[in-house]
Amino acid sequence: MRPDLEAIRNAARAAASELTGKSIKDSQKLVSSGLIDSLAVLKLISLLERKLNIVIRPEMLQPEDFDDVALIVETIERVGKSVK
Amino acid sequence: MAFNSLTYLGFLLVVVMAYWLLPTGWRRSLVMAASVAFYSSWNVLFLWAPLMVAAVVFVCGKYIQANPSTSRKWLLTGIAILLALLVLFKYRVFVATNLSYFGIASKRGSFSPAASLVFPVGISFYTFEAIAYLMDVRQGRVRIPSFVDLCLFFFFWPNILSGPIVRARELMPQLRFEKIFEPRFVFEGCDRIVWGLVQKNVIANVLGIWVDRGFGGQPIATFSTVDGWFLAIAFGLQVYFDFAGYTNLAIGTARLIGIVLPENFRHPYHAASPADFWSRWHMTLSRWIRDYLFFPMNAKWEGAPLPLHLSLIGAMALVGLWHGAGWGFLLWGTMHGVYLAVYRMYESLRRGGLPAKGPGLLAGGLRVVTLVAVAAAWVPFRAPSLAQAGSILGAMFSRFTWRPEYSGLFYGVTVAVALFAAVEPLVMRALAEVDEEAAATGLSMFRIVVRPVAYLCGLTLFLLFDQNNSQFIYSQF
Repeated sequence: MRPDLEAIRNAARAAASELTGKSIKDSQKLVSSGLIDSLAVLKLISLLERKLNIVIRPEMLQPEDFDDVALIVETIERVGKSVK
Repeated sequence: MAFNSLTYLGFLLVVVMAYWLLPTGWRRSLVMAASVAFYSSWNVLFLWAPLMVAAVVFVCGKYIQANPSTSRKWLLTGIAILLALLVLFKYRVFVATNLSYFGIASKRGSFSPAASLVFPVGISFYTFEAIAYLMDVRQGRVRIPSFVDLCLFFFFWPNILSGPIVRARELMPQLRFEKIFEPRFVFEGCDRIVWGLVQKNVIANVLGIWVDRGFGGQPIATFSTVDGWFLAIAFGLQVYFDFAGYTNLAIGTARLIGIVLPENFRHPYHAASPADFWSRWHMTLSRWIRDYLFFPMNAKWEGAPLPLHLSLIGAMALVGLWHGAGWGFLLWGTMHGVYLAVYRMYESLRRGGLPAKGPGLLAGGLRVVTLVAVAAAWVPFRAPSLAQAGSILGAMFSRFTWRPEYSGLFYGVTVAVALFAAVEPLVMRALAEVDEEAAATGLSMFRIVVRPVAYLCGLTLFLLFDQNNSQFIYSQF
């Protein structure tokens, strides 16, 4: 079953905080501010996959799709697929 | 028609005045005509090149968006055709360059306008824009517009020569030309143009006199340590002010007609690490490499350490080759790839793989090491042969002699420009603050008197330093 929006948002906040070691606000820019780089985005993707039990196809993505919590939620809505 | 010529400034004045005076509906035609005229002024025979690139993107893009199941095939077909065109032209330059190694010609180091006869100017830049366009279409970020709109995107004269490398989603919406005239377009555009002219003609060209002499005439194995370092630093400063000057002229030109192009530089010699350097130097190329090469590659390998480091070095070697099919460029790119890989290893040992600024002494040391490494890499980038690059690098790092060969003026000018590069962010920030205050209080003294006087001084300097060596370094790429 596909996770709901609130679950995705919570997972996005938790994954970004875990990765940066800081508490991340929803409006905080992650990639464009230099807080995380493209490799950290790959780690963020695998964290999200694990937390939400989904598969994300990175070939359709760019690092800026993960620039803040709202964008992460939108991206997962767009390309995330539940693991069967 | 080089950006830093009176002919171009006259052309720009006419086009910008016509743009704002003509009815809005005529703007697209005017910009298209101006763009074609501008590109033709470089070499009318190669007018077909951007046209063909637009046609490839149009046809393949249409197929990509029509059917998701065959989109990958059409994406690869499009990229293959675009790269084939680029490779064809780059290999011609490579052959010419290698002939020069045998003494038949020595053109690579001279940045002569003759280079524009060898391949269509700007092809490296608009090919990368085209690949990004196709990938963005496949990812559902943009749609393929009409063929005329696509031509307008690729021919757009402010950035066709040497970037900034724009994405369709940031430029296409602006090419509707719907903005109403605002005085700030003129202020912002002229600020960039005048400063760009000074950066290129006054700072870069003056340094270029000694750099050309050092890399061009001196027999190898005669460089002293002090001269090797000064030459590397002087070229590093020359190429920065040259390319930043060009970029300011491109951004300023677009700004005059209300268009915003992305920034390309953010004080690169203030970088805290090799990774930070690439977030400040040629930012639109770095962004392209990250989004369309490095990220998809590593997404496939899920960031595993060995493929990661090899892909970093490989991607940067390709960046080097993108500049020109010469061994020096390849070495420059590979050196940066190694710097980035070593920095990654250092970071993952220190902080679990996350980029972060270190405290105090460590951070300061990393800044110095970064500057030294960047300066060293400029040597093969500029040297006309690997033998000369090896000789200069040898003098810099192992064969220590302290006999200065140049006039005191060279060392003095290099130190002065380096000091200016060091305080440049402070100067720019102070000027921006004054400008903001002036904008808040309406037409203040700054806007009425200081700015026009600064423009006058800048243009006077540009005219005084107007020289035959007007070719921008990056326009040969």
